[in-house]
Amino acid sequence: MKRYALRQVLQLAVVIVGISMLAFAILHVIGDPVTLLLPQNAGKEEYARYNKLLGLDKPIYVQYWKFATRAVQGDFGKSWYADTPAFKLVLERMLPTLYLTTAGLVTALLIALPLGILAALKRHSFVDSLCTVAAVAGQAMPIFWLGIMLIIIFAVQLRLLPASGYGTWRHFLMPSFTLGAFLAPITMRLVRSGVIEIMNMEYIKTARAKGLAERLVVIKHAFRNACIPVITVLGLQFGQLLGGAVVTETVFAWPGVATLTVDAIRNQDFPVVQCAVVLLALIIVAINFLVDMIVGLIDPRIRVGA
Amino acid sequence: MRRALALATGLLVILALVLPAGAQTREETLIYSLQSDVDNWDPPNSVLREAIILGYHVYDHLAVRDVKTRRVVPHLATSWTNIDDTTWEVKLRQGVKFHDGTPFTSRDVKATFDRVLDPTKKMTARGNHAKIKGVDIIDDHTVRFRTDGPYPLFVERLTAQVMQSDKVIREKGHEWMQENPVGTGPYKLVRWNRKQEHQLVRNDDYWGPKPAFKYLRIRIIPEKATEIAELLSGGVDIIKAVPPDQMDVINKSGQAHTGTSPILRTAMLQLDQAARSGPNPFTDRRVRQAANLAVDNDAIIKFVLNGLGDRVATGVNPMAFGWDPGLKPYKQDLAQAKKLLAEAGHPNGVDVLFNEGPPVVEPAIQQTNDAIVADMTKAGFRVKRNYIGDNTVLVAKIKDGKAGSMFNWSWGYYSVFDADAILFDVFKCGENYSYYCNPALDDLIIQGRSTLDQKKRAEVYVKAQKLLFDDAAYLYKWGLRGVWGISNRIEYQAPADEVDRMFLVTPKKK
Repeated sequence: MKRYALRQVLQLAVVIVGISMLAFAILHVIGDPVTLLLPQNAGKEEYARYNKLLGLDKPIYVQYWKFATRAVQGDFGKSWYADTPAFKLVLERMLPTLYLTTAGLVTALLIALPLGILAALKRHSFVDSLCTVAAVAGQAMPIFWLGIMLIIIFAVQLRLLPASGYGTWRHFLMPSFTLGAFLAPITMRLVRSGVIEIMNMEYIKTARAKGLAERLVVIKHAFRNACIPVITVLGLQFGQLLGGAVVTETVFAWPGVATLTVDAIRNQDFPVVQCAVVLLALIIVAINFLVDMIVGLIDPRIRVGA
Repeated sequence: MRRALALATGLLVILALVLPAGAQTREETLIYSLQSDVDNWDPPNSVLREAIILGYHVYDHLAVRDVKTRRVVPHLATSWTNIDDTTWEVKLRQGVKFHDGTPFTSRDVKATFDRVLDPTKKMTARGNHAKIKGVDIIDDHTVRFRTDGPYPLFVERLTAQVMQSDKVIREKGHEWMQENPVGTGPYKLVRWNRKQEHQLVRNDDYWGPKPAFKYLRIRIIPEKATEIAELLSGGVDIIKAVPPDQMDVINKSGQAHTGTSPILRTAMLQLDQAARSGPNPFTDRRVRQAANLAVDNDAIIKFVLNGLGDRVATGVNPMAFGWDPGLKPYKQDLAQAKKLLAEAGHPNGVDVLFNEGPPVVEPAIQQTNDAIVADMTKAGFRVKRNYIGDNTVLVAKIKDGKAGSMFNWSWGYYSVFDADAILFDVFKCGENYSYYCNPALDDLIIQGRSTLDQKKRAEVYVKAQKLLFDDAAYLYKWGLRGVWGISNRIEYQAPADEVDRMFLVTPKKK
């Protein structure tokens, strides 16, 4: 296991350096940053002064090294738009997004696991068809539409929940359900097919033959193995979830980092974009590392074979 | 696995409990919503309308516009007189205090303007006051402004400058002021959660009439459908920029109603008479007149905009000083339009490029553009439509002289109710947003801004409008009307200058 973990960590380092290079490149591929920063009537002298001020007169590897060493210390420079450190802006908004995506993930699992297992065990029954219909409907429903429908039903008509905002547990319910509904269908289908496949395995027959209760057969033997592809896919889907968070945050006026990033791109606020890209990428990398570790723990074949 | 699920759920519940919960009662709280947040709490350092609106709540101005009469009246100033053509003397209100307890005096007025006018500070508001050369302190409550030549817009522009504290500018400095406003206004800022919410509390030491609501929350809700849902479910009291097709939903809800007001913004299709983006058919006056005669704007206002527009004869808005009520707008006349096009050498029609803007400023812009293009086609224009989805891109193209032969544009006058505020920026030769160039008009514009005699200025602007109408500088459309959604629990009058003033809101009388 140690060797497996070490190899994963080394791979991680390469990925992180790659990400930092990409984030650094953002500023340079969109054109000359100084022209963007200066007013149109600025003269040549002012241009040269700014060029020097931003360190853009230095060779590109020197510039990258400076960017990377500062980034490690959490210094991405000041937001060009809001006059405050980009790191502070992004960090402030990171927690709400993490809460939201975690809540969305948990909701998705709460929906997908029971339904997926149920559908697998009652294959080709009415329950199975119903679950399939629900999955297709869930997959086909645009997030913003679902969000607005929930608001109209639970906030405007029934007056049970606040329509938008952030602060109490009641603010969590609709956004996390919206995001969960976006992830649940694919997870449910995976659980279903995984359990179906495993229920036909020899060792399940053995477990049944030795007289184990059906409940234990399903939970201890079948489910654990069915989990592996589910966990892997959930890890990969986390990036998707952040994409879904952009829409969810907008609809529910949720003060998260996803909308901050989109706004920063629109405002051409590059320090914020760079900072958000690096931090979000780090989180995704960390989650995938965790997934690899968990999968390795569950299934010894993976850590040995890899 | 079951244990893991239970753990995750438990964590979620704990997180929810740790997060801050609301405090004040809904009864004494007024909630206003904006679609986007300010970049800072230092109004002279921001170009955003939201910054102007927030500025009105925490800061005061020397002069303000009376919402009912639309006239500029004294506020932190008590009077102003022009001693000569280039000197204004302003008397200041006594007994006014900043939120930190320091009294408001002429030192603060001087410090405010010195800071804004200092070119090294690069304040956005500097352009508004570039005609001011300096401020002199006469005594604690009297200041004199020196101007660069006669400056008839002096008093109008006082409504665009918040008074900041000399002590704060000196001791706390620029950085600190970006997030910590210290004003003399009716509310004090308690907390700002960026892009989420501003929490304000009434300034109980306010020198003027005190706001009816003790607490004011300003929420940022980017999605219009959510904003409307919040209004209908009682989560928000006032929203602005309601789309025309949603007015019915709000009015029939029993929870809220809509209020409309003409606003100081004129919508046009600018035509490239000055050929800034190269040779094009609109350099010929007859083609421009044909375009104006082709479109039935009255019908568009009535049927597409639900009546939310006021027809204009030129770019000058009916609410601006200098507007000529005698000048009647173009009426649709397709036969005459075709005849003019033929005379201009286009008997078989003419190709023009139309750069269309996104629906961020004008309501229903796509639908009204459809109608305009349909009308122009009837007269023989072959319009090639090019949609530009991002307003900043369109603005950059316009400034760069790359906006093409015809494009969407509307002008908000920087909230200065004066003909000069559109003529100079949008019609004068060589200005950033102007695609028109006519030395005869430039003469009139300069005349209008070089005298303090309002009667003479009005005469000059009548001439200017006649010229702009006859020469069909642009395709003139309409003055916009704003639509607000207002909760039935409160009383609020929609403002013509697009500056919402929450301190004027009162609970509905039962």
